[in-house]
Amino acid sequence: MNLEKVVFGFFVVLAATLNFGFFIGDISDPSLHNPYELFAAVVVNLIATVLKFGDRTQIGAVHLATSLVADLQLIGASLVLGYAVYVSSAGLNADWTASVVSLSGGALLANVVSVVLLVIETVSFHRG
Amino acid sequence: MGNPLLTFWANLFERREEPRPRRTALRVAAASAAQASATIFLIMRRMRAPLIVLIAIFAVSVLGLTLIPGQDDAGRPWRMGFFDAFYVMSYTASTIGFGEIPYPFTYSQRMWVTVSIYLTVIGWAYAIGSLLSLVQDRAFRQALALQHFTRKVARLREPFLLIAGYGRTGELLGHSIDALGRRFVVLDIDGERIDSLELDSYHADVPGLTADARDPGHLAVAGLDHPWCEAVVALTDDEEANLAVVMAAELLRPGVPVIARVTSRTLAERMQAFGEPSTVNPFDRFGDHLRLALKAPASYQLLTWLESGPGAELERRGTPPRSGRWVICGYGRLGHELTSDLRAEGLEVTVVDPNPAGAADHGVLVGDGSDPWVLAQADLDAAVGFVAGTDNDTTNLSLVASARRSNPSLFICARQNRAASAPLFAAMDIDARLVPSEVVAHEVYAQLSTPLLWRFLKEMPGQGNDWAAELTDRLTAVCGRHLQALWKVRLNAAEAPALGAWLASGEARLGELMRNPEDRDQPLHAVALLVLRGGSATLAPGGDFVLAPDDELLLAGWPAARRALGITLVVDAVLEYVVSGRRVPSSWIWRRLSRRPRPVTSP
Repeated sequence: MNLEKVVFGFFVVLAATLNFGFFIGDISDPSLHNPYELFAAVVVNLIATVLKFGDRTQIGAVHLATSLVADLQLIGASLVLGYAVYVSSAGLNADWTASVVSLSGGALLANVVSVVLLVIETVSFHRG
Repeated sequence: MGNPLLTFWANLFERREEPRPRRTALRVAAASAAQASATIFLIMRRMRAPLIVLIAIFAVSVLGLTLIPGQDDAGRPWRMGFFDAFYVMSYTASTIGFGEIPYPFTYSQRMWVTVSIYLTVIGWAYAIGSLLSLVQDRAFRQALALQHFTRKVARLREPFLLIAGYGRTGELLGHSIDALGRRFVVLDIDGERIDSLELDSYHADVPGLTADARDPGHLAVAGLDHPWCEAVVALTDDEEANLAVVMAAELLRPGVPVIARVTSRTLAERMQAFGEPSTVNPFDRFGDHLRLALKAPASYQLLTWLESGPGAELERRGTPPRSGRWVICGYGRLGHELTSDLRAEGLEVTVVDPNPAGAADHGVLVGDGSDPWVLAQADLDAAVGFVAGTDNDTTNLSLVASARRSNPSLFICARQNRAASAPLFAAMDIDARLVPSEVVAHEVYAQLSTPLLWRFLKEMPGQGNDWAAELTDRLTAVCGRHLQALWKVRLNAAEAPALGAWLASGEARLGELMRNPEDRDQPLHAVALLVLRGGSATLAPGGDFVLAPDDELLLAGWPAARRALGITLVVDAVLEYVVSGRRVPSSWIWRRLSRRPRPVTSP
């Protein structure tokens, strides 16, 4: 067992599960989407991205790309959330919630691709 | 096409006479480029831990701040949002510290912020410290330098030389090539030499890389497979490395001229096995020069002057003794060459060496030349020439001094090994000084500057001593004792558009062309050294020489003369004035309006 692989797999899957947890639920209902979960998703995604730094293989490059996409989408979602709460006169209404959650949905897709890549990598690794 | 604008237009849009070089599809550079990017990846890997620590510390601090209950200014319970918390942590961690916003903190918040401050400062210090140490990392800097160099070489869009080995020889060659306005790229294994590139005052930017030239990947990065690479020069101190460069160049880029410095015949032959590299052996060349100096001092003087490149001063014409006995101290590579060369000239030679290799020859005196007793055995009083040819400058200087003392009329040759000894050798006033690095640099320069100069130097010794003396006088009368510009002109439609009809008339005499366009009674301050027509060369043609289309001229003279001649070659009206003395209007309308007879130089 390789500790590095465990940590890597842990963060990739945790990023996807946290993202999923935030995304699930009625898209326009703010009470179903906890901002703490979004925060955790952003942080875990950032850590997963850094863990993917410096891998020279083709699959490593795609891994990094998917993580960067997820980061972009999640940070976008956080910014929209922050704008809705602090700046917008309407506050966090159904429209804003829908934008935040749909952005995190995009990130979820990227995270799913990441998990699929992880599975492919594991399956194609025959010696273990 | 006499109008300069038309010429410019034609050069811009018509097909170039010399086709652009093809892009060769070699992939040698890929290996080195991958090596460079591998280092970047390694750096990224090493930044993982500091970045993750920083992210984790930030996440914990921000999360804590949002969870800890606070109060607004009215005393109601209030919790900080993520944005506020992130904002507070950002300025706190970076030690900017705007204060407690939006409301003054409660004690529990302050406690948490205190803990966070220490955590985040440690996190930042760790991350920035790792980054700075990586930036100073040798491997990282090398990778950056390699990428920078690769980019610079790949962007070159003019012919350039690839010089492997930037020692004293490379530096001399570089300055001559730079004075010609041409570009070059340098590889050297010694980082200090590459750093010294920045201190040298070159006109053009010279890309340099600290790398082993024996690696074909490094050569490829330095432009071996670049379409504009016009020649490869191997000038390292290491014979093996030179051989490796020749091999790589001949195998990976056949057809590009290769010039290598060698000091032994066996290595030169090993190089010849890989094609047709041109090898320069400083000792062999010095022997040849000495033979030429013995036979024809004026030819030797002219040869060394033209080889030295622009700005060189004409050296005093030596008169080596043509008969008598020579004493050679040091029977190494130089000693061997000189002994056989002098014996071939029918001169008697005595060799002095502590342990001569191949001592079967007669006339070898075994012993250290710096020992006065041994030198006395050589019977210097009866000798005419003396060569101090060991590979130690101090020994050579003391040999010269003691030889002078026993016989002041000796013709003295000495070998100078290190550039730093130059003032000492100059003060000794030696008749013929051999500096191997200069011999190689001059020889390579002569081969690379223009093919015409090389042709001239090859054929010049055959013309005899008096001819060379006369040409030297002509050159010094025109340009003084310092060599001025050397340049090449081709009398074709692209380089000399105004000359077409005049050349075709069959009465185009060189003397008429070489006049000052400002005042045709003044001759141009330039001398034609060589005219190449087809494959046959005419050396130092006189004023009556009849030029023909497509002749190639090698000229020496003032840079101003070069510009003046350039105008004559391009502008019809100037040519008309220079040839016939008539001032004709240069524009088409004025030519129509003026009722003069048609000029002789127009069709």
